[in-house]
Amino acid sequence: MDELLFSEHHLMKRREPGCDIWSLSFSFSRLVKLQFSKTFQPIKMLKALYALPFTVLKVPNLKLKRPSWFHKPSTMTVFALILCSYFLVTGGLIYDVIVEPPSVGSTTDEHGHSKPVAIMPYRINGQYIMEGLASSFMYILGGLGFIIFDRTLDSLTAKRRIMLTSLGFIMVLLSFFACWIFMRIKLPGYLQS
Amino acid sequence: MVTSATLYNVLHWLNFTVDIRNVCVFLAPLFSSLTTIVTYHLTKELSNPGAGLVAAAMISIVPGYISRSVAGSYDNEGIAIFCMLFTYYTWIKAVKTGSLSWSVICALAYFYMVSSWGGYVFLINLIPLHVLALMISGRFSHRVYVAYTTLYCTGTILSMQIPFVGFQPVLTSEHMGALGVFGLVQLHALVDYVKTKMSTEDFNVVFQSVISTAVVLLLGVAAVLTFSGKIAPWTGRFYSLLDPSYAKNNIPIIASVSEHQPTAWSSFYFDLQLLVFLFPAGLYFCFANLSDANIFIILYGMTSVYFAGVMVRLMLVLAPVMCILSGIGASTLLSKYMKGLEASSPPSAGASEKKAKKSDPQSFLRHEISLAFVAMMTFMFVTYALHCTWVTSEAYSSPSIVLSARGHDGSRIIFDDFREAYNWLKHNTPEDAKVMSWWDYGYQITAMANRTIIVDNNTWNNTHISRVGQAMASPEDKAYEIMRELDVDYVLVIFGGLTGYSSDDINKFLWMVRIGGSTETGKHIKEADFYTPQGEFRVDKEGSPTLLNCLMYKMCYYRFGSLYTEGGKPPGWDRVRGAEIGNKDFELDVLEEAYTTEHWIVRIFKVK
Repeated sequence: MDELLFSEHHLMKRREPGCDIWSLSFSFSRLVKLQFSKTFQPIKMLKALYALPFTVLKVPNLKLKRPSWFHKPSTMTVFALILCSYFLVTGGLIYDVIVEPPSVGSTTDEHGHSKPVAIMPYRINGQYIMEGLASSFMYILGGLGFIIFDRTLDSLTAKRRIMLTSLGFIMVLLSFFACWIFMRIKLPGYLQS
Repeated sequence: MVTSATLYNVLHWLNFTVDIRNVCVFLAPLFSSLTTIVTYHLTKELSNPGAGLVAAAMISIVPGYISRSVAGSYDNEGIAIFCMLFTYYTWIKAVKTGSLSWSVICALAYFYMVSSWGGYVFLINLIPLHVLALMISGRFSHRVYVAYTTLYCTGTILSMQIPFVGFQPVLTSEHMGALGVFGLVQLHALVDYVKTKMSTEDFNVVFQSVISTAVVLLLGVAAVLTFSGKIAPWTGRFYSLLDPSYAKNNIPIIASVSEHQPTAWSSFYFDLQLLVFLFPAGLYFCFANLSDANIFIILYGMTSVYFAGVMVRLMLVLAPVMCILSGIGASTLLSKYMKGLEASSPPSAGASEKKAKKSDPQSFLRHEISLAFVAMMTFMFVTYALHCTWVTSEAYSSPSIVLSARGHDGSRIIFDDFREAYNWLKHNTPEDAKVMSWWDYGYQITAMANRTIIVDNNTWNNTHISRVGQAMASPEDKAYEIMRELDVDYVLVIFGGLTGYSSDDINKFLWMVRIGGSTETGKHIKEADFYTPQGEFRVDKEGSPTLLNCLMYKMCYYRFGSLYTEGGKPPGWDRVRGAEIGNKDFELDVLEEAYTTEHWIVRIFKVK
């Protein structure tokens, strides 16, 4: 972490020949140091100026404390939030809000009964709400499966390894083939020329 | 365009006499090859060369990018993605090294980006967002200071040289974020500097007073400027990205473009396939090893996922970052598991094997698991390649002028109606004839039929397009007044009822109604009049009388009522809407039929 941002020592080390920005700030730092040692004490004037409103106003006796539950979120919390937003967006949330498709579609078969249709056929850029959420759930499942594969390498007990590895394989293969089948239902000619 | 001209001149100077048309056609594939190379370098900066190779291999075939960079598609995005990734690469280098030269190269790359695509606004908001994130997470250093200050000053001045941009970087809200972060960066650096010079107590006094005055001043100035109109609010195009329902409710012409529709899950899978699964894994690895550069790619990833969700067209911007992050994820996992394959037991069998299995839980079935994992990844990559080639050949390889379909016996039928109609226009109409059609076909008519048109794809003048929409949606006599006002000689419509071509003007008609009714002169056109009392859009007998008597209906279905289109169906059966049309035997008063193509796809009428 760079704490000595512009101190002279730092400038001496990083100086490049003929680079004007460094010589300028070098002389500026000299000037500032000079100012602060002069007798007219700008700090005292600033303090007086800052205290001026309080000669008229009275500070209320408040005890404000930073709420104890408020702390900087950890990296993995942020990652979890990002995964949630990925789930919502790739599930077509914005499409659902704008176009307002039904949750599941319906067709009537030859006897006149209406049957539900889960996946909107033939349109690449169309979906029902349920199928969107199901697919993005599959995406997240696959992603988590790959992450689990990374975690198996750290685990120590054999039992835990077997469990995690098999879980990883199941999640990845399941999500991959599920999405393939969804796509096949949507576009009957998928991967067939 | 400047790029094509430069390439053409360079080639001619080297005495390769390449025709300008070929230069334009092959420009996009050339630049996508360059994009692959830049992706390799960018990922190498973020991770390691192995990840770079995987990412480059993925982006070379990803359908989301190929869709806009096929040979023959001469649009801004072909070059823009290369410029964007190159700017990001130089930015990452500038942040990592803190050197002035890389920052200036970044500014030059940014200038090239501004000159190629209006999407540069994304860059000039993403880079300040990255700087802000670095400041918030406490990673601000002099390198970031040098990089951002140089980039902002030089880059903004360079971008203002482009006539289209002009003074926008200091006037519009889209660029204010960059200016704000620039000020903040200066303040942050100044504060760090002053902190090293003074005692803590003195510093606190100065800091608090400066902050309070600065905040009050800033808010006051911003309020004054916004309310006095000096700083323009976000324009329609970009505002609809933040509030997707804005375009739907207020500017129908933006909402009607099919590329601007929000994205469904299947578009994500269709354009990216394997990458949607590897994306979270890549993000996880970036989060696990946070660095300045990784924070940038995380921000880029999340913002582009959101924007791709709002507009299908922006899937193009998402594709590179998906490739980069998936490359990082796949490469990290594979390198870890390949080590398991390497550590296969050396020839000293027996004793060492037993010992290994008993005492070292790490190596339990390690070889087999690694083998299974690598085999699975190989299988997935193979399916990715198959998927990409299939998608490209099926969906992104057809010329848009000539249509094809499969007959009942599987043979291919070619519909060349567009070119037939445009050639007829070129040879059978006077040179100064004016043609009215919907704006989708404007460029095609201008280029191939060489006639003047009323509105075209460069949808600059909303009022004018709205007037055309009113003409299409009004009954014949009202439409005649509008056509005389616009001085129209011929009208051209696209009709798919005979062939089953579903992107015809009747399916686009509701957009014409919405756009026509969105301006002052079109107030009498209400969308609800064109629906049945139950709220359906129908062209048969149940359809609304307003619809059955409007100009578009009459033009499309003139003489159609006596035609047999499908076996077992009554005459006048519309194959797209799946209905027998309601208004069959009518005569046209103000138009006369000039030409109808072989499959009735394009119909041209002359105004009397």
